[in-house]
Amino acid sequence: VNHLLPLLVAVPIVGALVPVVLGARRPVLSRRLTASVLVGQVGLAVAVLAAVAATGPRTYVVGGLPAAVGIGLRADAVSSAFVLLVAVAAATLYLTVRTDTTGPTDSLWLLFVAGLTGITITADVFNLYVFLEISGLAAYALVAGRRGTQAALAAFHYLLVGTIGATFYLLGVGYLYVATGTLAMADLRVELAAIGYDSPLVVTAFVLVTVGLGVKLALFPLQAWKPDAYAAATPDVSALLATLGSTIPGYALVRLVFDVFTASFLDAVPLVRTGLLAVGVASVAAGGYLALRQSDVRRLLAYSSVLQMGLVVLGIAIATPAAVTAALVLLIANAVAKGGLYAATGVFAERFDATTVADYAGLGRDAPLTAAAVGVTLVSLVGLPPTVGFAGKWYLTLAAVDSRAWVVATVVLLSTLVSLAYAGRVVERLYLAPALDGVEPAVTDGGGLADDPARNRAVAFVVATAVATVLVGLGSTELTAWFAPVVEGWL
Amino acid sequence: MAVTNTVSVLPLAAVLLPTLAVPLIYAARTRPRLRETVTLVASTATLVTVWFAVQSPTTLVTPLGSFAGVPFALRADAAALLFALLAALLWLVTSVYSIGYMYALDEHAQTRYFAAFAASIAATMGVAFASNLLTLFVFYELLTLATYPLVVHAGTAKARAAGRQYIMYTLGGGVAALGGIVLVGVLTGTVTFTPGGVDALGAVDTTLARVAFVLLVVGFGVKTALVPLHGWLPTAMVAPTPVSGLLHAVAVVKSGVFALGRTVLYVFGPDTTWDLGLGLPLALAAAATMLVAGVVGLRQDNLKRGLAYSTVSHLAYIALGLALATPVAVFGAFAHVVAHAFMKISLFFAAGLIYVETGEKYVSDLAGVGRRLPMTMTAFAIAAAGLIGFPLVAGFVSKFHLLVGAAVSPHPAFVVAYLVAGVLKLLYFWPVIYTAFFGRRGSQTSESRHPFAPPHATDGGYVEGTAWERRSLTRETSPLLLAPVVATAGAAVLLGLVPTAFPFWALAEAVVVEVFG
Repeated sequence: VNHLLPLLVAVPIVGALVPVVLGARRPVLSRRLTASVLVGQVGLAVAVLAAVAATGPRTYVVGGLPAAVGIGLRADAVSSAFVLLVAVAAATLYLTVRTDTTGPTDSLWLLFVAGLTGITITADVFNLYVFLEISGLAAYALVAGRRGTQAALAAFHYLLVGTIGATFYLLGVGYLYVATGTLAMADLRVELAAIGYDSPLVVTAFVLVTVGLGVKLALFPLQAWKPDAYAAATPDVSALLATLGSTIPGYALVRLVFDVFTASFLDAVPLVRTGLLAVGVASVAAGGYLALRQSDVRRLLAYSSVLQMGLVVLGIAIATPAAVTAALVLLIANAVAKGGLYAATGVFAERFDATTVADYAGLGRDAPLTAAAVGVTLVSLVGLPPTVGFAGKWYLTLAAVDSRAWVVATVVLLSTLVSLAYAGRVVERLYLAPALDGVEPAVTDGGGLADDPARNRAVAFVVATAVATVLVGLGSTELTAWFAPVVEGWL
Repeated sequence: MAVTNTVSVLPLAAVLLPTLAVPLIYAARTRPRLRETVTLVASTATLVTVWFAVQSPTTLVTPLGSFAGVPFALRADAAALLFALLAALLWLVTSVYSIGYMYALDEHAQTRYFAAFAASIAATMGVAFASNLLTLFVFYELLTLATYPLVVHAGTAKARAAGRQYIMYTLGGGVAALGGIVLVGVLTGTVTFTPGGVDALGAVDTTLARVAFVLLVVGFGVKTALVPLHGWLPTAMVAPTPVSGLLHAVAVVKSGVFALGRTVLYVFGPDTTWDLGLGLPLALAAAATMLVAGVVGLRQDNLKRGLAYSTVSHLAYIALGLALATPVAVFGAFAHVVAHAFMKISLFFAAGLIYVETGEKYVSDLAGVGRRLPMTMTAFAIAAAGLIGFPLVAGFVSKFHLLVGAAVSPHPAFVVAYLVAGVLKLLYFWPVIYTAFFGRRGSQTSESRHPFAPPHATDGGYVEGTAWERRSLTRETSPLLLAPVVATAGAAVLLGLVPTAFPFWALAEAVVVEVFG
């Protein structure tokens, strides 16, 4: 079973050759093969998850080399869940929302999956950088795949900022190597404790690593690339990026903080914790404020992600089991919600040419199914029960109050009202505004009766994510119980 | 009293039946008769379910696993049954009335209306049966979401503004309540309702316990419409009248005050509440609400707004009884939950009926309407008398207990507040009744309007000088509209004449026994 781990990365990388070879000449076959690779990836992820459930965490070193120099892979309860999230999101989005099937762009889709899966299961901080770059380069190219200068500029902006972020991360890795002489996470954990957490090298390494990942998470003030990229990309790409693009770096931040630096580091260097708290609060405030000011729905949702990632960082900074669990639950909650919402913006944009909040007037009547699903998903984003968004917020508030972090508790609770304000604008527009003059759409989603099967699949995806936010919310106790052994092992 | 728990699906069924009605109502959207049948069948079934739960000798519990790490369970204790029975009964009555109202006015979006109504009742049942604060909170927030479409039903700019205000108030309150719940959970390790209060709360940091109490009271005080958190309620009267009747006089505001009762009696407990010095401030806030709303209500010429302020005031009666937390006052509070519901829903039904039949919303436009709607206005007068506190109507019985409960409490001065509030009610309702029965249209002289009546704020909806057509008792309106008014006003009288004949009496007694031992 251990050989499944390298396959998780190898299958999508090798599969990425298929669209390059066949994409132009045999597009249908290429598309089918890509789909089967993605579905196979889901099967692999399920198998790994089942193996972890049965017998605990698994490690694998490629080529049997010692961990210090070899490519080490590790799957535990948390990482296998995120591997599954990557596989399922990539496969379902490909099958339902993906529209562009020409040429080599499907390769990028597969490379993106390979990179993110690698980030999730790697046991080595340098390999994490490599996978970060693979997924990053694929993401820049995917954004650039849309015709027009807007996409080109946004992709270029994204590339510049993303590369700078990755460089910061790589510098941090360099400092870690200088300090300890190893790159394997398990060794680093021991070595860092041995040389002392307050060593300037270690603190600098932490700051560099965090800033680097902070770019990928789009934490304030490093968030500017995100709304540009998500608004410029095609709907399928923005749905994929919004689901996974920041979620997996967020997971990587959790893993690096607690599995490499450990909570003792945060205790030993209070300034770092204060910094994380400040970044979290600033991201929540700035994300909420900027989301409120947006008229373009995709930009609005991008800023909402900034807010959500701020909450995740607050969970990391508090660093109790409940808080780390909250951070992981919030990552999943945001991923599920944003996937559905960006797919919905695609449906609205293609069918009704509606991209701004004002354009959404009356769509509750013309696209009842999509609009209802958007409503439910936004409820999760706001964090009302019984959705998964509420579960994350509940654990985070509980943790904040438990550690007497009153400011954090207040910020988390008030973020609900900010989210409500921007989500309320969208919902009210969908359902209560009269349709704009002269815009009388002839087609509706008619509960699935439209004549375009691709569009119906997209609507089905949106509805499925809405259902998922409720189901995962109802199953949040099981989800946290699944994370519990790993989270408690970290702390 | 030994409490025996029995696992049963009845509490869950009471929540699920109205929930299931929602998709069925949508499925039947093209066939209005079938759609209305779904509503009637679901409401009858819910009532029967709750009735069976009331008959059970043991306390029925439906454990539903856990949500976010906290046990999620529905439990039919006495307080839950009292509230659930009340809501189920009045849902059935209101369903009949709603059908008559929506048909008579040929309202738009009727399917959304009936579906949201069923969803609201489902959430109310959940609030009633919730066995801990988190479960209650889940349904409390769902209630807000389910009632929002009803508040904004008209879809006008005014309705949207009212909806925004409603959502911001109630969800803002929800945030405060969530903070309080988390704090209670962290301090004591439990959020489960315990009759007489969670003992551990008496032994924790008093400042934090006080903060938790304030957060919970503010959170639940929004729906209870305690001044200054009441602003949403008069604005929300823009909703169709059956909504105002059932939701804004019964389900929503009573969910707030019910949650408040759970906080005072089942989380903090009467003793801890007063030991922490929290009882008196809450009582003062309630008394102030009672009086302020009573005074502001005097100036309302719009009938529904006037009734809304009356609701604010009466909810504060209940909150004051809970805050004083003597056994008799608590009994009076729970009795008043029931009594006020029957009386106020009669008044709203009457107001809606007046609107359907005459198109009028302002009291000053209704001079002499008693000739046109004799039966309706008689029911209105009876219910108003009950709210003022006249004997032989439900309001007297509950208010009597509230007065006695206040008199035997450490602060008997609150008796005066109740009495003054009663006088304010008289000052509000008497001019309304006088105008309706003795007034004459098209005249501003003293013979048409009562000297205490508020200033004329008419929307100019009637033609000067026209007189009401005189109609007999049987021909005044559709039986679908009249029967519910007569039924609820009649029930209010029966509750005043033979209060012990209704299960509500025994349930309120059981609450007192459970809480005070």
